Amino acid sequence: MTRLGSHVQLLLAVATVLILPLVMHSGSLASEVLIYALAVLGCNLLLGYTGLLSFGQGIFFGLGSYALGIALTRFDLPVLATLVLAVVVGAVAAMFVGWFAIRQRGTYFVMLTLAFSQMFYFLAYSLSDITGGDNGLLDIPRPALGLTGRPLLELSSPWQFYGFVAVCFVLVFWALLRLTNSVFGRTLLAIRDNEARAAAVGYDVKLFKLAAFAISGGVTALAGAFLALMTGIAPLSSIEYHTSEMILVMTVIGGTGNLFASVLGAAFYVLFADWLSTLWPRWLMLLGFLLIAVSLFMHRGIWGLGETIWLRLRGRPPIDPDDGSVATLGPVAPAAATGTTANTATATTRSEKRP
Amino acid sequence: MNVYLLQVVNGIGIGMLYFLLAVGLSIIFGLLRFVNFSHGAFYLLGAYFCFQAVQWGLSFWLALLIVPLVVGACAWIIEKLVLRHVYAQPHEFHILITVGLALVVQEAVILVWGPLGDNVATPAALAGVVMWGDFIYPKYRLFVIGFTSVFAVVLWWILEGTRLGSAVRAGSESTEMVSLLGINVFRVFSLVFALGAATAALAGVLAAPIRGVEPFMGIEALGIAFVIVVVGGIVQSVMSTLWPEGARLMIYVAMAAVLLLRPHGLLGRG
Repeated sequence: MTRLGSHVQLLLAVATVLILPLVMHSGSLASEVLIYALAVLGCNLLLGYTGLLSFGQGIFFGLGSYALGIALTRFDLPVLATLVLAVVVGAVAAMFVGWFAIRQRGTYFVMLTLAFSQMFYFLAYSLSDITGGDNGLLDIPRPALGLTGRPLLELSSPWQFYGFVAVCFVLVFWALLRLTNSVFGRTLLAIRDNEARAAAVGYDVKLFKLAAFAISGGVTALAGAFLALMTGIAPLSSIEYHTSEMILVMTVIGGTGNLFASVLGAAFYVLFADWLSTLWPRWLMLLGFLLIAVSLFMHRGIWGLGETIWLRLRGRPPIDPDDGSVATLGPVAPAAATGTTANTATATTRSEKRP
Repeated sequence: MNVYLLQVVNGIGIGMLYFLLAVGLSIIFGLLRFVNFSHGAFYLLGAYFCFQAVQWGLSFWLALLIVPLVVGACAWIIEKLVLRHVYAQPHEFHILITVGLALVVQEAVILVWGPLGDNVATPAALAGVVMWGDFIYPKYRLFVIGFTSVFAVVLWWILEGTRLGSAVRAGSESTEMVSLLGINVFRVFSLVFALGAATAALAGVLAAPIRGVEPFMGIEALGIAFVIVVVGGIVQSVMSTLWPEGARLMIYVAMAAVLLLRPHGLLGRG
């Protein structure tokens, strides 16, 4: 199962998209699941595939919301154009943050992304002419999808909107699958597992990290833009460090093992939060206990738990938890150049601590 | 002139509290290599325990003495039961588990004391203000400055003059080497975590009469403490006179700059 093929993952993602409307009453909640799944995919690309623990994903999420909000309220752009704009804004911001952040490693990297996250928060707070400050951007319209000014597809009902998000989600998921299975994706894994070796082999590690940041920022901003489009507001809280924290929590809860784990993490968090918050106003306490439990006992997240159960049922020994994070390096694609094959093969050995 | 002086002195008063918070965070971070997101929770507990003690009619002074000890003991137990099992894990689990702890504490505080804030009376002996000519300053804040300064000296002595301090300082350089010398590093870890939490609780107790108590004060304080660990409190007080709106933005700009240029802190070696 760890060597899960990408077609199986894509199938699972499509199945999720199709099942959600069957089991859920609220189209908005279903859309929310997919929206956060997008954000978590972005985070997973950094954490699971590049080994970068970014505490600044909320920056890109919030900027995506603001970009869409400003473009729709002030400039009246078509929806698709605003989404593209949000992606570009997110990617550029991520390159900016990443350019600084990748100069440090480990905890200093985390603190640096945290500093940027706070910086952007107060920037959004201070520039109230543009962002609406404390109130956020209000009354964002949700115009119909259209080409050259002619409306083709209404998005006004929650399920229509869900359909639109679902199509975009599957496209992004597929693109990220392609990406992570490409030579580029394998190089990211190599950097994650042994940065010194990847650099020694001749890869420009910083450039790869920067590219991962840009892609992650773009995808996360798309999620933020969708949320703003759905709720009609781009609140200040979307760029707050809580958003960064939440995206990170979803990522780790789901597991960083593969891309579909991110969908699980987001779905679990959103639905769990929605369900518990109606039962008990202090549900965050249960979330706290859950986080502690995950840190202690479930290092590979929900995905890892499911995998262990699945293997037990089939009478196979469970995977060593310390070895399983993204050990998805199966046989390397034969098309890869021989040099690359050698590099990626080194990545299968888990990182030596420090040279 | 007086406006600036007042600004500076005010900055020092609050800055001392932030210093207490930051110093605890800093020793935990230095030794355990652990980004402690639950640090604000101990500050929160300190403030609320003080509030409760005063509600029960105990004196503020007793609270000042006992609350940090109680919170330190709680932290010691939490470290033993929970945290030490994730030291070997990657950073994301350090963050996840301390965020979880902070959430549990914050929600427990809301359950026990309710979601709304409350005030804690300034102890009678320190109510009122002192006046030097036309310069007026609250007595209590003066006490905070004095008390924290004394505490800082004590803390400095603990870190520089005692065996535990030597182990902590050596441990931040190389944990493995210290354990090879026959020192039980895990015991030092527990003590340092408890000491850090107790300092945060002390800051909470001292802050309660100034700021009151409310359940989200921990999160707010945590953000600022993170900054101070790397920047120091000076930037904020200077900036708040020059460009008040941008002060909080600028401290994070400064924090990023320091992290880039001097990742081991302004005074760190290397």
